[in-house]
Amino acid sequence: MKNFLLFAFLLAVASVFSVRGSAQVIVIANPSVKSGEVTKDTLRDVFSGNASSLKDGSRVVPVLLKDGPTHQAFLAEFVGKSDSAFKAGWRSLVFSGQGSMPKSVESDAAMVEFVAHNPGAVGYIDKSSPHDGAKTLRVY
Amino acid sequence: MQVRNVIRVMVAAALSVAGVCSAQSLDDLNLQIHGYATQGFLYTTQNNILTGHSSDGEPAWSDVVGNVTAVPDPKLRIGVQLRYFMLGNLGKDITLDWASADYKVSDKFGARFGKVKTPSGLFNDIQDIDPSYMWSLLPQSIYPISSRNSVLAHYGGVVYGSVPVGERFGRVEYRGWGGERNLSADDGYFTNFREQGINLKDGLSGPTSGTSLHWRTPLPGFMAGATLSHSNEWQGALVDTYIVPAGPAQGVTITTSGTMVLNPINVLSYYARFERKRLMVAGEYERLAGSYMLRGLAPAPGRFDQRPWYAMTSYKVSQKASAGMYVTQEVDHQALLGPARFFKDWAFSGRYDFNAFLYAKAEQHFIDGTSVGYDIDANPHGLKPDTRLTLLKLGVSF
Repeated sequence: MKNFLLFAFLLAVASVFSVRGSAQVIVIANPSVKSGEVTKDTLRDVFSGNASSLKDGSRVVPVLLKDGPTHQAFLAEFVGKSDSAFKAGWRSLVFSGQGSMPKSVESDAAMVEFVAHNPGAVGYIDKSSPHDGAKTLRVY
Repeated sequence: MQVRNVIRVMVAAALSVAGVCSAQSLDDLNLQIHGYATQGFLYTTQNNILTGHSSDGEPAWSDVVGNVTAVPDPKLRIGVQLRYFMLGNLGKDITLDWASADYKVSDKFGARFGKVKTPSGLFNDIQDIDPSYMWSLLPQSIYPISSRNSVLAHYGGVVYGSVPVGERFGRVEYRGWGGERNLSADDGYFTNFREQGINLKDGLSGPTSGTSLHWRTPLPGFMAGATLSHSNEWQGALVDTYIVPAGPAQGVTITTSGTMVLNPINVLSYYARFERKRLMVAGEYERLAGSYMLRGLAPAPGRFDQRPWYAMTSYKVSQKASAGMYVTQEVDHQALLGPARFFKDWAFSGRYDFNAFLYAKAEQHFIDGTSVGYDIDANPHGLKPDTRLTLLKLGVSF
């Protein structure tokens, strides 16, 4: 019984840290994007292909990481979908002629590089990654 | 007529892409190529359904799709998609899914022209995109696969947009469309006519229009919507071939020409969907009532009054596995009493994504009634009132 309680406690601690871990994602944008903040709903719409501008009128283009913990954490935290559900949504748009798949990059460094040099680009990286040349968007 | 239209649209799309490509580099164009392929297996009890030998188990269900899109300007997207489809005796041909130019001024207004998907109901414009949902067969009462290629797109245009209605009320997405639709001669709607010796040489064509409103409510994940579509009078030339079965003229073939006329018709549907975390619940109801004439063959009009609906739910069991079920029913209130008057189906489904590209599906149907999807010629010993249908599917997409 003691072992079980210890296991349950460790599991709970691990889950807390994993939740905290998922919050270590920041959203970055090209400096051409006027706003410094974005609502969670708008961000979800942009990354789901349902919107292409922010409330301030800035036209934005989503950029994805190909895979990895930062990508998974971003989807869980800001889009509310698993990777397979997220890709299924984009396939609906791509194969019905209503959208093009967003550009995807291999790493945080490649994400920063692309976002910094393409007007309107919006992406996400791990909070600890340097992001010179790109601005941070506060999500509320 | 349809072939000429297809060729025109394809040539126009190809010229557009070529013209744009010559002016910009491929990278600037965001040129993308995507595709998917699926292979299905069917097994039924009692009746053959969808294919001619499903009661023996039959892998006669294939889809191969490829598209090319380019974005020469942030507001402009052009593309073309081709499909090879085979389900039993249906399809077995390469067809144009869509070929369009899409100009999105802003989130509030955009338009696309060419051969475009018709955005009616919950699933119409994506009913052929197998990788995008968990079901092997969508509810056949509203989305019959035997008529899929005819109803999911039209020649003409679509305007679309999304308008916020205040912080407290969410937003409304609208779609409006108009153009011409062609139900091809081998469409599932004409199966019964073909079995009676009546063939529509070029199918049935006519003007179509409609509008859809989707209210994204303030309740996260909840959408409610409605579609009203209208078809003007549609016409198609037909030939009735009759072989005299007995008497002095036994064996003589009598051929009569005529015209099928589908009178103007309105179709109204209501639907809703709720998605929250791992759960999805959705439902749709449609009313399809009208009449048609077989000029030159029959003096009295044929009438139909179908009221199909479905309710479905699915749950994401894990990152890779989903499970769900739906119940659907359709009753033609103008049909004679008996199993051919209705269709009822309980379906239980599962999907497993091996990775981002490869997936498998399994589905079990418990069907009562024979008003949807049955081919009398494929069941020479007569139709039984109920059928069990097992489906397995493997798909790959990129």
